[in-house]
Amino acid sequence: VSEGRGPIRWLHWLSISRPSANQSVDWEIEHHLEEASDRLVEAGWSPEDARREAERRFGVRRYGPALRRIERERIMVARGSRWLDFVIESFVGAARGARRDRGFTIGVVVTLALGIGANATMYGIVDRLLLRAPDHVEDPGAVRRVFVERPFVGQLTTTSTITVPDATDLQAHSGFEAVAIYSRGVRTMGLGEGALRVWTSLTSHDFFPLLGVEPRLGRFYAEADDRVGAEPTAVISQELWERTFASDPSVLGDALELSGRSYTIVGIAPAGLTGVDLAPVDVWIPLRVAGDEECASDRGCYWVQAAVRLATGVSQESAEAEATALHVNGRRDDIQDGSYPRESRVLLGPLIAARGPNAASEGMVAAWLTGVSLVVLLIACANVANLLLAQGAKRRREVAVRLALGVSRAELVGQMVLQNVLLAGLGGALALVISRWGGAFIRETLLPGVLFPDATNGRVVAVTVAATLFAGFIAALGPSLQATRGRLTATLTESRPGVSSRRSRARTLLTIAQAAMSVVLLVGAGLFVRSLGELRGLDLGLDVDRLQLVRLELMGSALPGEIPGQQTDRAEQARIYRLAVERLRTVPEVEAAAVTSSPFQWGFGTNLRVPGLDSIPSLPGGGPYYYSVTPGYFDVVGVRIIRGRPLETSDGDGAARVAVISETMARSLWPEGDGLGECLMVGRGAEECTTVVGIAEDAARGGFQDEPFMAYYMPFAQRNDAPQGIYVRTKGKSADAVGVVSAALRGFEPGVRYPEVRSLREILEPDARSWTLGATMFTVFGLLALVVAAIGLYSVLAFDVAQRTRELGIRTALGARKDRLLTDVVLDGTRLAGLGVALGLSVAWLAAPYAQGLLFQVSPREPAVLGIVALVLLAVSALASLAPGLRATRVDPVIALKSD
Amino acid sequence: MSQSLSVIQGTLELLALRTVAARGPVHGFEILDWIRRTTDDALEVEDGALYPALRRMEKRGWIASAWGISEKGRRARYYTLTPVGKRALATEDKRWTRYVNAVAKLSARPADG
Repeated sequence: VSEGRGPIRWLHWLSISRPSANQSVDWEIEHHLEEASDRLVEAGWSPEDARREAERRFGVRRYGPALRRIERERIMVARGSRWLDFVIESFVGAARGARRDRGFTIGVVVTLALGIGANATMYGIVDRLLLRAPDHVEDPGAVRRVFVERPFVGQLTTTSTITVPDATDLQAHSGFEAVAIYSRGVRTMGLGEGALRVWTSLTSHDFFPLLGVEPRLGRFYAEADDRVGAEPTAVISQELWERTFASDPSVLGDALELSGRSYTIVGIAPAGLTGVDLAPVDVWIPLRVAGDEECASDRGCYWVQAAVRLATGVSQESAEAEATALHVNGRRDDIQDGSYPRESRVLLGPLIAARGPNAASEGMVAAWLTGVSLVVLLIACANVANLLLAQGAKRRREVAVRLALGVSRAELVGQMVLQNVLLAGLGGALALVISRWGGAFIRETLLPGVLFPDATNGRVVAVTVAATLFAGFIAALGPSLQATRGRLTATLTESRPGVSSRRSRARTLLTIAQAAMSVVLLVGAGLFVRSLGELRGLDLGLDVDRLQLVRLELMGSALPGEIPGQQTDRAEQARIYRLAVERLRTVPEVEAAAVTSSPFQWGFGTNLRVPGLDSIPSLPGGGPYYYSVTPGYFDVVGVRIIRGRPLETSDGDGAARVAVISETMARSLWPEGDGLGECLMVGRGAEECTTVVGIAEDAARGGFQDEPFMAYYMPFAQRNDAPQGIYVRTKGKSADAVGVVSAALRGFEPGVRYPEVRSLREILEPDARSWTLGATMFTVFGLLALVVAAIGLYSVLAFDVAQRTRELGIRTALGARKDRLLTDVVLDGTRLAGLGVALGLSVAWLAAPYAQGLLFQVSPREPAVLGIVALVLLAVSALASLAPGLRATRVDPVIALKSD
Repeated sequence: MSQSLSVIQGTLELLALRTVAARGPVHGFEILDWIRRTTDDALEVEDGALYPALRRMEKRGWIASAWGISEKGRRARYYTLTPVGKRALATEDKRWTRYVNAVAKLSARPADG
C-alpha cells in the first residue's frame, strides 16, 4: 500500500498538464521498458542487451501503433463526455438554483429580458430603416436614387422630386442599365359607402425589371401598357389581394375602379413589395396611363422620383458627371432664358433612403435609440452582476469547499458563467415576446409610414441570441471571478463565513454606474420631450388643434380631367362645395367652415405686379402664394387681422376687387408704409387694381418650420379658381370630431366620390414623427432604466441590511434610536444615487454637443431638464432605500445575536 | 504450448483488474510483474499485450489513470479501480468461478476413449 501513497500526492499536479495521446502512450511504454531493463541488468545483462531484450519482450512494433490508436479514441470519447458532463451539471445546477432562489431567478430573467428585449425591438426598426434594402430588390447595391441639387435663392437645395422629362433625359446615360420613374399617391377604390382609400404607386413599366422582381401571379405591365392611350392595367399587392379579393386567383382580368377609372388587373405583386421606398403600396399602375397627360411632358411639373441601376464597373463619380451633363443638356432652353440654374447637378443616392441625401431624421433617431437600448442592456447587466455578487457572497463557503476538493477555478468560473447564460437564455426567450409587442407598438404608432413585412425575422432572432450570450457572459464573468478569489482558509475559518459587514467595492461601483446611466437616459428623454413640446407649442398662426381639412374627391363634370375634352364645370364644383359647407354647419361639433383654393401644404402663385415696384423680392420660403377663400376664412383658421378688415360677403363678383395680404408681404413690399390701400395687379395682363384692405398675421402653409414667404388672400367670388378644400373649425379638439364630420359628408351629394377628413394635427404629424419617436422611446427606455436601477439599489441595500443583522441587533440592544437606523440606510442609498447623479450629469454635459442636431429649439444642457432628472433620481432612490431601512429598524436584537 | 495458454491470455483483463483492485494505484510494469509472479510465469504473452487490455478497461470506465512519479523518480502512469470497475470485477469473478468449476468437473471425469 505504501507504494501507492507517494505518487498520489503528485496526481493532481501532473494532471494539470495533460499529455497528448501519442505522448502518453510513448511515456508509458518508455517507463515499462526502463523498469524491464533494470530487472534484466540486475539479472546480469549488459545495459544495451537488456534494453534490446525488453523491447523484444514488449513487442513494441506490434503494440505501439495499436496503443496509440486506442488511446486517441479513448481521449476523444472522454473529452466529449467531460464537456457533456460539464454542461449537464451546469444545467442541473442552474435549475436547482432557480428553484432554490426564486426571487434571484426572477430578478435576473426579467431584468435581462427587458434589456435584451429593448435591443431586439430597436434592432428590428434599425434593420428596416438603415441596414436592409427594401424587399425583393435584386443586387440592391447597384440601385441608386436620383436627386437634383440646385441653387435656390442663394441656397443649395437637394430634391428627389423631379419632372418626367428630366427623368427621361437620363435614359441616354451610358452607365445606367435602366432608369425607372415612380410616384406614390392615394386613390379611391370603388364607389359610395364601400369606397376605400388605397395607396397607389404610379411607375414606368421598367420599374419592376430594374428592381429584378417577379410577380406573385400574372404579370407586371409591359412597355405597351405604359403608353398614352393604352388600356389601363393594374397590379395589386398581395396584401390587397388577400384582404379584398380573398386571394382569389380568378381576379386576374377583372376590372378595378380607381377614382373613376377602370383598370384591368393583370398581376399580383409579391408580398411586401414596396418598390424602392418602405411605405406600403396597394396598387401599382402605369405612370403614362394613370398620370396627368400634360404633366408627363411638362418641365414645370415636379411630381415624380427616379431610380437607376448602375451597370457593373461604373463609378459613382463618372455616373453623376454624365447624369449632370444629360440633365443640363435637357434643360438648356430653360438655362438660356434664365429660368433654371446652370449650376444644377444630379446626385445619385443609395437605395436605402435613410442613408442618402434628404433623409428623414427617423433613421438617425432610431440609430440613437439603438445606442440607448444598448445602455439599457448594460444597466440590466450591471443589475444582474450586482445580484450575482450578492449571491456569490452568500455562497463563499460552498465555493471554498469545492475549490478545496480540487475543482479548478477555471471550471468553477465556467460553470457559474454558463449557469447565468442559461438564465439569460430564459430572459432572451422572454425578450423575443417583448420585442414582438414593443415592435408592433412602435411600428403602428410611431412609424406608420413604413411597411415591416416580417417583424420577427431571422436577423432579429440572431441579434437576440447574440445579446443574450453577451449579457449572460458579461454579467457573470466579474462576479464569478470575484466569488472564486481569495484565501480559502480565511473563508473556511471565519466564524461566520461570507459575512463581511463591508459592501464590496464592485457592488458600490456598479450601483453608481447604474444610477449614472439612468440619469443620462432620463436627460435624453427630458430633452426629447421638451423638443416635442416646443414643436407642438409653435405658433403656426393657425388654430392647429381646432382645425380639420376636408377634401372632396369629385366625379362627373366637376372632376378635372374626368371627361376628356370637356371643360371642368367650375359652377358645379362651387355648388358642391357650397352644399358641403351648408351640410357641415348642421353638425353640432362644427363651429364654422370656409372654402379655400389652396389647402394646407399646397401652394399657388400667379403673375403679380405692384405698380411702383420693379420686381417682387423673392423670399426663401417661395411665393408670393395666393389663396382664394370664402368670407369668414380668417375666423375659421384663427388668423388675426392686424390692420384693416377681413374679406366679407359684400366683396362679391361685381364689387371692387380686394385682397388681404400677410404681415411679411406688407413688410417686404412696403417697408415704410402699412400696405393698406395699395394696389396689386393680379394675373397675367391684369389691368384693374386689387386693393389691399387688410393685413393678416403670418400663418404656416405647410409645416412647422416654413421659411418666410409672402401670401395674399382674395375672395372666391371675384376669382375663377377651383375650390380645393374646406377648413372646418370644431368646437372641441378637431381630432375627436373626424369621425362625425366624415359621417356627415358621406353620400351627401352624388357628385362626391369620397370625402377625406383629417385633423390638421394629423397632417402635421409626419413632420413631428422623429421627435415623437425620440420622445416616446427615450422616455420608455429612461423609465425602464430608472426602474432597473432602483431595483438594483434596493437589492444592494436589502442585502446589506440582511448581512448586518448582527451589527444592527447590537446597536438596537445598546439603545440606538430606530429613526437613526432608518436614516443611516436611506442616507447610504441616497449617497450612492447622488454619486451616480453627479457622474451621469457630467456625462450628459459632455455628450451634449452630439445630441444637438436631434433636438428642436432646446439646449442639450437645459438646466430644467438636468435639475428635474436629478431630483427624480434622488427621490426614487430614497424610496428604494426606504424598505431596507425600515427592515433595519425591525431587527430583533435577541434573534440577531442568537443566529450565530 | 502457447495454444493451451490462450485461455489465460483472454483473461488477462480480469487478472489486471484484480491486480489494480488489490494493490491500489499501480503502474503497468507493476501489474505485469504481479501477474507473472502470482501465476508462476504461466502467462505466455508479450509484455505489450497488457496495455491494450488496460486501455479497453479505462475506456469502459472500469479503471482510471493518472500520471505520477514512481518510487524510482520516473514518470509513470498509475491505475486505480473505479466504482464501475468494482462492480464489473464482482461479475467477472463470478463468471470465472462458474467457468473454472465447469472445466474442473469435466477434467475430473475419465476421458471417453
